[in-house]
Amino acid sequence: MLTLDHVTYRYPNTERPALRDLSLTIPAGQFCAVVGANGAGKSTLAYTLAGFVPHFYHGTLTGAVTVAGLNTASVTLADLVRRVGLVFQNPYNQISGTKFTVREEVAFGLENLGVPRAEMLERIAATMQLTGIAALAERSPLTLSGGQMQRVALASVLAMQPQVLVLDEPASQLDPIGTREVLAAVQALAASRRITVVLIEHKLEWVAAFADRVLVLADGALVADGPPAEVLASDVLLTHAAGQTRYTQAARLARAQGGWPANQPLPVTLPQAVAAFQAARP
Amino acid sequence: MSEQFSIFQSRPSRLHALHPVTKLVLTFCLLAAALLLPGLWTNYLLFALAILPLATLGQVTGPLLRAVWPTVLPFAISVFLIQGIIYPHGTPLFSLGPLTLKREGLLLAISGTGRILMVVSNFILFALITRPDTLMLSLVQRGVPGGLAYIVVASIQLVPRFRARAAAILDAQHARGLETTGSLRRRLSAIVPLVVPLILSSLVDVEERALAIEARAFNHPGPKTSLIEITEAGWERPARWLLLLTVPVSLGLRLWLG
Repeated sequence: MLTLDHVTYRYPNTERPALRDLSLTIPAGQFCAVVGANGAGKSTLAYTLAGFVPHFYHGTLTGAVTVAGLNTASVTLADLVRRVGLVFQNPYNQISGTKFTVREEVAFGLENLGVPRAEMLERIAATMQLTGIAALAERSPLTLSGGQMQRVALASVLAMQPQVLVLDEPASQLDPIGTREVLAAVQALAASRRITVVLIEHKLEWVAAFADRVLVLADGALVADGPPAEVLASDVLLTHAAGQTRYTQAARLARAQGGWPANQPLPVTLPQAVAAFQAARP
Repeated sequence: MSEQFSIFQSRPSRLHALHPVTKLVLTFCLLAAALLLPGLWTNYLLFALAILPLATLGQVTGPLLRAVWPTVLPFAISVFLIQGIIYPHGTPLFSLGPLTLKREGLLLAISGTGRILMVVSNFILFALITRPDTLMLSLVQRGVPGGLAYIVVASIQLVPRFRARAAAILDAQHARGLETTGSLRRRLSAIVPLVVPLILSSLVDVEERALAIEARAFNHPGPKTSLIEITEAGWERPARWLLLLTVPVSLGLRLWLG
């Protein structure tokens, strides 16, 4: 579980806060998505949950961030890495750069945590299977495609068995099939191991398909919080330039032309859209 | 980015199976011999009697020779031209127009080339048979700071990425009309738009990579473990000490024979 209590944060040498008075609680096992326009504070929120704010990016943090029972400001990053896993947007910079094979790359975090070798081998095999990279085990991490690297980065963090998993656009280099596979694996993990997942994602169709809950950030503040069907169909995303799913957009266009009843909810997923358009067919 | 900068060649050889520190000590002793032992042809002899047999044992003779010649040959040609011809007050061997080849210069060139051949081939052989990560792991296990080991290995491994980025920036600036050929002045003026983006993007990379390795517990206190198991045969430790004895022997021969 993680909790933010009136959290405000300013990066060093800046006047405008990157996060403004954020208060929220995400229970264990929940798959929560964070959406918003560029510069809304999504990545800063990810760094805050992982403890990089304030331990790496110093700045000014007020309020309290509690992750897996630890106040992030009161403990060290080393205390947090066992509990919080962070997968970054750019897969190329997540490769350690010191390992010759993908298997060894996945082992990097486990070696640093001092996990015994036998257990390490078990965890590596399981996470490589889960993320679909078992066939890449002996390949050099530096010769992988962006999508493959992204899977390796995810596997490397999952192998550390965090209680909270923060994913900052983890599928930016993946094709649609790869994205579905990876997010489905994360969703299954969240359910089976009660891992709290915070997914930062611009592609709202994926958010609608996988998240239990959606948070909308705008200018560092929380402007909407609720189930995907409710939040993604609301006008708040358009108001804050956070986009809309293509299904919602189609329904809005249909509504503008009189082809969608004003009282009918807007769809946010493909099955919802198909069912609604079929029902509306004369 | 489809290459790895390290020239390590994986082979099922007994030389590869040695502990990295044993290989390091062997390389150090051969280096000391190359630099200390007297004699005009000593380094050629060492190359023939030590480096080549070791390369054969490690099944890397081809890669070794392919890597050594491009380095040593240009050096040999230039040192023969410079030392052989420019050497003052030497014994003339033959003249071609205004140029005279002197005996003493020729001997210096032979000796210098032998030394370079030995030093270069020694280091290349070491790189061909030693994985950088296992070397660093074994050094960390012997007390070298982990951060230092990381910087060394990551720097070696990530050179291709840096090179690929430099090529991408060059292409991008070409596409925007930047001229990088022609007069010296034009070439100099092209440096800033090429170097500044390279440095800035590399700084961003460094920050992101620092975050990424922190997220993977790089600075986690306490003992670390390793997936790679580095094996060491029982005879290797005494063999290393025996090898190290060759260093004072080389020094003694140098002092004795001059």
